[in-house]
Amino acid sequence: MAEPILEVSGLVKHYPLTRGIVFKKRIGAVKAVDGVDFTLGRGETLGIVGESGCGKSTVARLLCSLEQPTAGSIRFKGEEITKLSGRALKAVRRNIQMVFQDPYTSLNPRMTVGDIIGEPYEIHPEAAPKGDRRRKVQELLDVVGLNPEYINRYPHQFSGGQRQRIGIARGLALNPEIIVADEPVSALDVSIQAQVVNLLARLQKEFELSYVFIAHDLSIVRHISDRVGVMYLGRIVEIGTDAQIYDHPTHPYTQALLSAVPVPDPEARAHRERIILSGDVPSPTNVPSGCRFRTRCWKARERCAVEVPALAVPEEFRSTAGPAAHDSACHFAEEKRVVPPEEVA
Amino acid sequence: MLLEVRDLHVEFRTRDGIAKAVNGVSYGVDAGETLAVLGESGSGKSVTAQAVMGILDMPPGRITGGEILFRDQDLLTLKEEDRRKVRGAGMAMIFQDALSSLNPVLSVGDQLGEMFVVHRGMSKKDARARAVELMDRVRIPGAAQRVRDYPHQFSGGMRQRIMIAMALALEPALIIADEPTTALDVTVQAQVMDLLAELQREYAMALILITHDLGVVADVADRIAVMYAGRIVESAPVHDIYKAPAHPYTRGLLDSIPRLDHKGRELYAIKGLPPNLMDIPPGCAFHPRCPMARDVCRTDPPPLYEVSEARASACHFWQECLHG
Repeated sequence: MAEPILEVSGLVKHYPLTRGIVFKKRIGAVKAVDGVDFTLGRGETLGIVGESGCGKSTVARLLCSLEQPTAGSIRFKGEEITKLSGRALKAVRRNIQMVFQDPYTSLNPRMTVGDIIGEPYEIHPEAAPKGDRRRKVQELLDVVGLNPEYINRYPHQFSGGQRQRIGIARGLALNPEIIVADEPVSALDVSIQAQVVNLLARLQKEFELSYVFIAHDLSIVRHISDRVGVMYLGRIVEIGTDAQIYDHPTHPYTQALLSAVPVPDPEARAHRERIILSGDVPSPTNVPSGCRFRTRCWKARERCAVEVPALAVPEEFRSTAGPAAHDSACHFAEEKRVVPPEEVA
Repeated sequence: MLLEVRDLHVEFRTRDGIAKAVNGVSYGVDAGETLAVLGESGSGKSVTAQAVMGILDMPPGRITGGEILFRDQDLLTLKEEDRRKVRGAGMAMIFQDALSSLNPVLSVGDQLGEMFVVHRGMSKKDARARAVELMDRVRIPGAAQRVRDYPHQFSGGMRQRIMIAMALALEPALIIADEPTTALDVTVQAQVMDLLAELQREYAMALILITHDLGVVADVADRIAVMYAGRIVESAPVHDIYKAPAHPYTRGLLDSIPRLDHKGRELYAIKGLPPNLMDIPPGCAFHPRCPMARDVCRTDPPPLYEVSEARASACHFWQECLHG
C-alpha cells in the first residue's frame, strides 16, 4: 500500500439519549460508530459499504471534522486531528473535503453557482486572492464538465447530475488532498451515475486525490475502489482489497450482502445461491453482546454472544498467503464465493 | 391478455406549458406473468401505472388518448364508482415509500381491515382477524400482537410487507409494484422481492414491476418494456434483451453497469441529459444522446418495429444495434 495519508483507529461516536427537560438524565446512547479502524493510502480509494444505519455517514462526518468523536484517533499525515481547534483545525479541514449525497438539498437555492463554489474561499481567503476568485470558479466549472458561463445561474436551473458536479467543484475548490464522498451517485439516474463516476475517477488522477467513497451500491464501489471496508452496526466487519472482499469474502455478513445484490444477468438466476438474512438490523441503542451480527447470523454459536471478534486476519488463514488472508471480524470465518465469476471478455 | 394498455397518451398542464409525460404507450400482461417496466425518472413509467390504477391527479394530469383494457373492458369509460370496484379487488398497487403511503394515525390492523369492511362488508371483528391472517401471510413476526401497532413502529422492510399485505387483501388478479424495494437496503430488498415472487406464484397473479434497477429486473421479470421520454423504446423477453439489446438506449443502460473486466477503465456513459418533457426532441426522442443517430432520426419518429414475434424496438437501425 502507498504511504498512509489518513490513519483511523478506535474511532467512536456515541450520541447520548437523554430524558427530562431541565435535569437531563442520560439514559443510553446511540452507538453510531463503535470502534472503527482503517488506513487510507495516498492516491488510494477506500470504499465503505454498509446498509442504512451502519454508521458510514457518521464516519464521513468525523473524518471531515464536522463532528467531534467520542473517542479514538484520526491522524492526517501523522498528525492527530481530533484534538485540534482554531487555526490548526481550519487548516486540516481545507485538506479533507466532502461531497454530499443529495444534490438537491446540499446546495443553497438562493445562492448562484459561482457563490456556492466560491464560498470556501470566504472561509479560507489564503487559497485564492479576492480578484482571482471568479476566474478560479470558472476553471472549476470547466474541470467538472460544466459550461463556465453558467456561473450566475441558480441550482434549480440544473439537473441532478449537473448539481452533483457543482457539489464536486465545491469540494475541489480548496485543492484538498482527500475527498470524502458520501453516496455521491445514489440519488442520480442510472445513465447519469456512470458520468459522475467517470468524472470522479478522472479528477483523482488529475489532482492526485485520495478518496473515501461511501455507498451502498456494491458494484459501483468495486469499480472505483482499491480497497473496500464493510460496515455493520458501527463497526468494520471485513476489510481488504476489492478482489479479496468480492471474490473471497470470509465474513458471513459480507457474504450475505454480496449474495443479496441482484445480478443484471437473467442467466444467473438459476445457479445463484442466495443467502437471505432473517430479521432487521438491531437498533444502535441496544447493540447485541459479543459479535453484533450474531442475531442474524446462521453460524452463530455460544462463543459469539460472549466474545467480541477482533478485526484481524482469522487464525486459519494466517499461515496462507492466499486472498482469504485479510482482516475479518468473525470467530468462524470461512471463505465462500457468492458472486459467480464473471466472464472476462 | 389480462391487462392491455393501447396507445395511451397523458399530459400535464403546468404553468410553464404542457408536459407530455406519456406519448403512445402500449403494453400487455397475462395472468401469472411478470412484466418489468424499466426507465429513468421522467420516462413516464409511473404515470402510465397511475393511469392504469385510476389514481392520476386530474387536473393537472389529462389522459388525451388511448384505451386501458382490463379483462376486455375499457377502464377509461367506466364511472368512478365502478372504477373503485376494480381497484383493490381487480388490481392493486404497491408504492415505493411505505411510510408516506400508510396512514400514520390508524393502526395497521385498522388499515388492513378497512379493505374487508368496505369491499366485502365484513364486521370490524372479522376484518381484524383477516388482517392478522394477512400479516402472518407476509411473515410479520408476532402478527396478533403487532396488529394494533402504528406504521412508525415498524421498520422499513416490515412496512413494505404491510403494503404488500394490503395489496393482496382482496386477492387481485394484477399487482402493480412501483419501485417496491428502492427505499430498502439490499438484504431487506432480497427478502421483500422473494416474498413478492412467492406470493405471486401462489395466487397466480400478474405483476407489473416498475423499476430503474437492471439487476432486480434480471432477477424476477419474464418480459421487459424499456421506456424513454414517455414511449416504449424496446420490449422483449428478459433473456433476449440482456443478451442482445435492439435499441441503443437499452444498450447504453446495460453498458453503463460496472463490470469486472472494465475495472480501472472508464465506464460507458450515455452522454447528455434526459429530455425536457415540455420540449421533446423531434424525430426519435433519444437522437441527441444516441451514438448511432443519423439524419432520419432527427426528423422521423421511429415506429415500433417488430424484431421477432415477441420483440419490438423503436429504432430505425435496430438491426444494426442487435448485431453489434
